[in-house]
Amino acid sequence: MKSSQDLLHTFTDTLSTLSSADTLQELETEYLGRNGHINAALKGISTVTPEERKTYGQEVNALKTKITQLLEQKKSELLAKQDAQSTVDITLPATPYPKGSLHMVTYAIEEISRIFEKIGFIRMSYPEVEWEFFSFDALNMPSDHPARDDFETFFMDHPKHSEYGKMVLTPHTSSGQHREMKRLGKPPIRMINIAKTYRPNWDASHVPMFHQFEGLCVDKRINITHLKGTIDYFAKQFFGEERETRLRPFHFQFTEPSFEVDITCDICKGTGVINDQKCKLCKQGWLELGGTGMVHPNVLKAATIDPDEYTGWAFGFGVERVMMMRPGIGLSNMRLLYDGDIRVLEQF
Amino acid sequence: MNIKFTYSWLLEYLETDADPYEMQKYLSLCGPSIETVEKVGQEYVFDIETTTNRIDMASVFGVAQEAQAILPQFGKKAKLKFNPFTQYTFENLHAEPVPSHKIHVEIRDPELCSRFTALAFSGITIKKSSEELSKRLELSGIRSINNVVDISNYLMLSLGQPIHMFDYDKIQDHTLILRKSVKNEVITTLDGKKIKLPGEDIVIEDGSGKLIDLCGIMGGENSAITDDTTSILFFVQTYNKKHIRKTSMTTGQRSTAATYFEKGLDEDRVETAFSYGVELIQSMTGGVASSELVDIYPHPVKEKQVRVYLKDIHRVIGVTIAEKKIISILENLGFGVKRHENKELAYPDGVSLEITVPTYRVADVDIKEDIIEEVARVYGYHNLPNNISPLLYIKQPHDMEMLFKTISLSKHFLKHIGLHEFLNYSMVSKEILEQIGMDSSKHLKISNTISSEIEYMRRSLAPSLLKNIKDNEGKRDVLKIFEIAKIYTPRTHELPEEQYVLGIATNTGFFDLKGILEALFTELNITNYTFKKQEFNLLAQNTSTAILSNDTLIGRLGMFRHEFSDNVGLSSDVFIAEIDFAFITNSYSLTSKYIDPISTAVIKLDATIELKDMPYATFVSEAHEQSKLLQTVELIDQYKNNITLRFYFADRARNITEEEAKGELKLVLELL
Repeated sequence: MKSSQDLLHTFTDTLSTLSSADTLQELETEYLGRNGHINAALKGISTVTPEERKTYGQEVNALKTKITQLLEQKKSELLAKQDAQSTVDITLPATPYPKGSLHMVTYAIEEISRIFEKIGFIRMSYPEVEWEFFSFDALNMPSDHPARDDFETFFMDHPKHSEYGKMVLTPHTSSGQHREMKRLGKPPIRMINIAKTYRPNWDASHVPMFHQFEGLCVDKRINITHLKGTIDYFAKQFFGEERETRLRPFHFQFTEPSFEVDITCDICKGTGVINDQKCKLCKQGWLELGGTGMVHPNVLKAATIDPDEYTGWAFGFGVERVMMMRPGIGLSNMRLLYDGDIRVLEQF
Repeated sequence: MNIKFTYSWLLEYLETDADPYEMQKYLSLCGPSIETVEKVGQEYVFDIETTTNRIDMASVFGVAQEAQAILPQFGKKAKLKFNPFTQYTFENLHAEPVPSHKIHVEIRDPELCSRFTALAFSGITIKKSSEELSKRLELSGIRSINNVVDISNYLMLSLGQPIHMFDYDKIQDHTLILRKSVKNEVITTLDGKKIKLPGEDIVIEDGSGKLIDLCGIMGGENSAITDDTTSILFFVQTYNKKHIRKTSMTTGQRSTAATYFEKGLDEDRVETAFSYGVELIQSMTGGVASSELVDIYPHPVKEKQVRVYLKDIHRVIGVTIAEKKIISILENLGFGVKRHENKELAYPDGVSLEITVPTYRVADVDIKEDIIEEVARVYGYHNLPNNISPLLYIKQPHDMEMLFKTISLSKHFLKHIGLHEFLNYSMVSKEILEQIGMDSSKHLKISNTISSEIEYMRRSLAPSLLKNIKDNEGKRDVLKIFEIAKIYTPRTHELPEEQYVLGIATNTGFFDLKGILEALFTELNITNYTFKKQEFNLLAQNTSTAILSNDTLIGRLGMFRHEFSDNVGLSSDVFIAEIDFAFITNSYSLTSKYIDPISTAVIKLDATIELKDMPYATFVSEAHEQSKLLQTVELIDQYKNNITLRFYFADRARNITEEEAKGELKLVLELL
């Protein structure tokens, strides 16, 4: 048989000519395989004198180690070469995957539901086509209230209900208040009602249908500080931890006291000034978020809840409005959401 | 409503050390919202929003009174310099009328006008107002015209009571008959607009029967004051607010006077405005009172009493406010306060306050909560802590929970496979309904719609989605859109049934649409449905398909009928599906049912066949009947009438041979 030295020479010569991982595998089999050169050399030990056997064995094992090493080294080289071979323009467009979109209102509804769910408010759904009673009378809105006239509310061409009056498209989600009170029979109540609402107003910045979300909390010992804290919690969750809120006196029929909620402006950070100019978006650093208040005793009474035992708060905010007020949206005209232009809608 | 006036004007009523910006900050938190302060020369102009229930606040004096209560809470001095309501009264009137001018007044319907005052003046000289007054008005956004017109505006802004002045000599027979208008009567108002009246409007006719005033909104052109006027009729009223609002809204005459009158004004303030007006007319126009003072006031408004307990104030506000502070807040707002204490009860439970509500607040303050609001707002909402409402568990009805959950899952899935969500108005036009063969009379109709585009409550999402496709044809080659929304099915004596529907429309073909539906059902682990050919009016006959679940119709899909798409003006074929969303909600399952993987041999065999008239679905279901070893059938290829299918055969209990499988396939193919 060939000497170890000769075998190694032949091996290295062949190895240097190899250029692919496949031929490397063949070479490995030729030397290290069951019938390979190394095994043959080990078998040849019987032809060696007993004195030389030890040295012989050591030489063959050393050779095996060396070959194994060289093979691995070569393999790494070849694989590395393979990786470097073809150049890829990684800036080329990739395989396209479908990209759909959801309406901005959908995202808003899910986010609002999530925020209130965490503090134990359940989402409900109530009729959009309603009787006057639920939209107005049960909410302490007398029959001559301006919100009930033809200019503020859509009426349906349908016979009156003997008890509940005319059929309307509800102009606010507050119509769900009475229904939720009646459903539960008595407090505690923690509800969010997110729904479509309708008003006869259609121009550059108004749409005849939009969404509101209504929060209602009725229980023993509920006071203004709870309303204030809950709305502040919502605002910080929805708009960002750094935002502040405030309440200002306002007037609504179904709450007493009533408030308007303001939130600090995102653009001027509540200062009212940006680049030494008056901030155009807000009023002195504040943006109007919506209306709220303590549930009017007449509203509780209408649902046979004793206002001297229970108190509550309620709010009704515009879904599109709060969504457009979120930092970074950059969409400020509500009509765009309902004009049905794919170029607008597909962006969300 | 918003009003504008200057800081210096406010200071005529109020003594304070608060500057205009402090005033803005503090008043906005507790009362009238001062939206902007604009510096013009040496003057500061406030733009103030007042709420509809506080029309008494919508004046310079009204804001001064609020300031008197609010500013001290912020450590600022504030005291009314004088109160026009005690100063300007008929009693103090420095006018001794020479009754040379006659006035005949007749109020036909007392319900229209709760107080009617009038006084004639002669010797009037119409001229420019003083520069000071003109400037003050101009800064408040009111154009200065002449002394008489300016007095009207000045009074309105000072005290919140609009007034009117006629040219006395233009009133035929000096007779004023206040009555309801008859529909289609015509009046030309001061601004030259000819207005056809809707009827039931409050108007005044003179002795000749011609209309000279559209009360509370605008005077008539025929009785207007001109440069030649020498005698005037000075006129201060309060009207029925409902009539004013209706007339103003219907005719589109939204005058400032109307925005005051439609909110209901305090009859007692009529006297103040009247008396102050007399003084201004005398000093600014040289006018001499020349008639009897007319004051028709059959039911004088009265102050009222409201009782509130301290414990209720604390219960609603959530913090304890000192009794002394509560009383001073209320008194500064003009309320009378009388304290009662029941000594048998521990303090403060027995303490109640008997509040006297002044006439200008009687329409607004009714119950103890109204008083609590007054205390709370002036105390300052910013001084109250933030507390989350106490947490407790309330069960959400299961159907609600599942509805919202499946809507959300469906929407997100459809988005992820490339569809775009649209949200359309619930109302559609008669035109589109007719274009697509739907009967508008079977839809709930809005009786006072503002556009024919939004007149009928939709009973299908199809009209909206078709319009969406049409509006976007050409903007994108591929259109795949969906909407999940309610439809409204009228019922006789009830509210309409409101039912959620999933609608999908595409321009990509029947099988693409069917694929979307099947993918959605698979995603939601819904299996209990079949497709079956069935005709629907909306759909082209060759693709019109019913979606059934246990023989119940739960949806439909197909190509939109060409006749209708031509009517709508669509240029491409549109495919449309509608599914009753309740089916999805009820059939949804969180995970699919587990099936053991087949661990024995599975033999795959291909065959190319022609189905002729047999529907594919029928063939497949019969094939399963025919061969118990058949596990699955796959469609591999389609060419003309031929389809290539791959059949998978296996027996879960043992390994089968290829020969066995071939035998099974032969059995299956015998079906053809």
